[in-house]
Parts: sequence; structure tokens; C-alpha cells
Amino acid sequence: MMRPTLVILLAAWLVGCATSPSPEPRVTQLAAAPEVTLREAMALLMERGYVIRHADGELGRLEAELARMPGYGVALRVAGQQNGSRVSVIATRGGRPLPPSVVDPLLTDLQARLQP
Amino acid sequence: MRAWLLLPLAAALAGCQVTPTTLPVAQPAPSEECRWPAGPDDSLNRVVTALEEQGFLIRHTDASLGLVSAERARNTIYHDNGVERLPRLGGFVLGGSGGHVSSGMMIGFGGGDLGVDEASRIERVSVVVDEEQLQVTRNIRLIDWRGDLRESRSASDADFCRELRAAIEAVPAKEAS
Repeated sequence: MMRPTLVILLAAWLVGCATSPSPEPRVTQLAAAPEVTLREAMALLMERGYVIRHADGELGRLEAELARMPGYGVALRVAGQQNGSRVSVIATRGGRPLPPSVVDPLLTDLQARLQP
Repeated sequence: MRAWLLLPLAAALAGCQVTPTTLPVAQPAPSEECRWPAGPDDSLNRVVTALEEQGFLIRHTDASLGLVSAERARNTIYHDNGVERLPRLGGFVLGGSGGHVSSGMMIGFGGGDLGVDEASRIERVSVVVDEEQLQVTRNIRLIDWRGDLRESRSASDADFCRELRAAIEAVPAKEAS
């Protein structure tokens, strides 16, 4: 009687742990030129203590890291025209992707900074 | 029955990693000293020169964004507080034969070293220069001789930033341009 219950519980636990969040980026549209967006994102991340490892204005890429165990990373891709940019963000923890909703507060702050 | 069910549940909760709901930030936050208004002579060139003078290796620059990312590695001594090195205590012998009982005792301490290892201390710095200001962040990693990461922390502190600012301002404007 006892054993099946335990087996089910254990199986449920293992399934729960094995489901890793999908590595899909969070995508959003912002009303600013790609380079302005990248610049503001860089300043915002640095204010939070992130070290920028790589950024390229022409390619519209940015990679930053936070040295808090087990190591966090943020990768941004920015594309678009003069008056609008499409930003996609992936955050990782110890090299594994975090759920897309984790970066929502960051994007909200970025949007607020870009308001005229 | 219910207590039995609670036990594996508690174990499961303890075993699973907690996923953060927001991106973590550096604690403590970067010091106020790590951001200062740009002077008329401040340029990316000047910052790169200053970082190189401080022993940093330039890893990446982007002139249009005014970004430089650099790294500096040093050998250092790591004190691991003896967490994994409890002194081993061992040996007690009691024996007897032919009606005689004799005892001997031996105490040995193992793990004679002091819990000090050589390690590499790696600093990563990023500096952004624009017309208005300079902004600096830094982090430090400590990697022991086995290649294991021992410590990883943000280190955008006032002392470092003040030192870097002085180094940047000490670079002659002519030399950098």
C-alpha cells in the first residue's frame, strides 16, 4: 500500500526537476533606435553590477554576466529601424536558460528609460 | 501515514533548485564612485591605455558604444578555512595473549597542511565612456589549483574605482589621442 504511493511521489518529483525551462527568448518591441536601446541596456545592466563581456553596436548584440554563484548571464539581440527596435533577451543561470518571464522587470525598466 | 508522506515531500523541496523569479543584482550594488562625469579629454583610448597600465588584458572593445571589457589574472593564496580538511585522528589498540593484557595507544593527526592553496584570481572589468559619464563594473573569481571555482563575486567597490579613475586621469590626453 505504502510503496506505490512513494514510487508515484518520487516519479513526480523527478519529472518536476527534469523539466528545464525552454530556452526561448523574451521578445519585445521598443520605440527607440537599436543603438540607443543597446546603450541604455548596457547602462542599466551595469547599474545592477553586471560586467559587459561583449557588445557590438553594428551587430546589435550584448552579453553581460553577474558573478553571483552559480553565475548569471544575460544575452540581448537588438534589430530594427531608426524609430523602433525589436529586442530579444535570454537569461541564464549556471549556463542553463531561465524562464523568459525572469527578464520582464529588466525590460520594463528599459522601456521606462527609453520614454521621451 | 501522513507523516510518512511529508518526509519525501520535504526532501523533494530541499533537493530541487529554486529558480529565481527576477534577475539577481549585485549585492552590494556598484559603488557611487564607479560612475563619474566625463571630462573633455576622456576617451575610450585613454581608458584602454589606463587599463593596460594597470595590468589588464583588453578582451573586447566597441568604439561606437564606447565600451571596453578587460581581464586581469594573478596568482594568489587561497585560504579554504579547513572545511574539507578536518584533522584525522586515529588509532587505539588493545590486545592480549597468554593471560597478559597489554594496551598500546597511538594517536595520529592527518592532513598536516594549513588549508592554504595556490589559486588564480581573475578580475573582469567593463568600462563605458560616453560624452556625459564613465561607468565601471568589476567582478572577481577565484579558481583553485584543481580548476574548481572557489569564489565568485561582484567587486565594483569604491577603492578600485577611485584607483582606476586616478589612472585614467593620469594618462596624458595627447598620448591617448
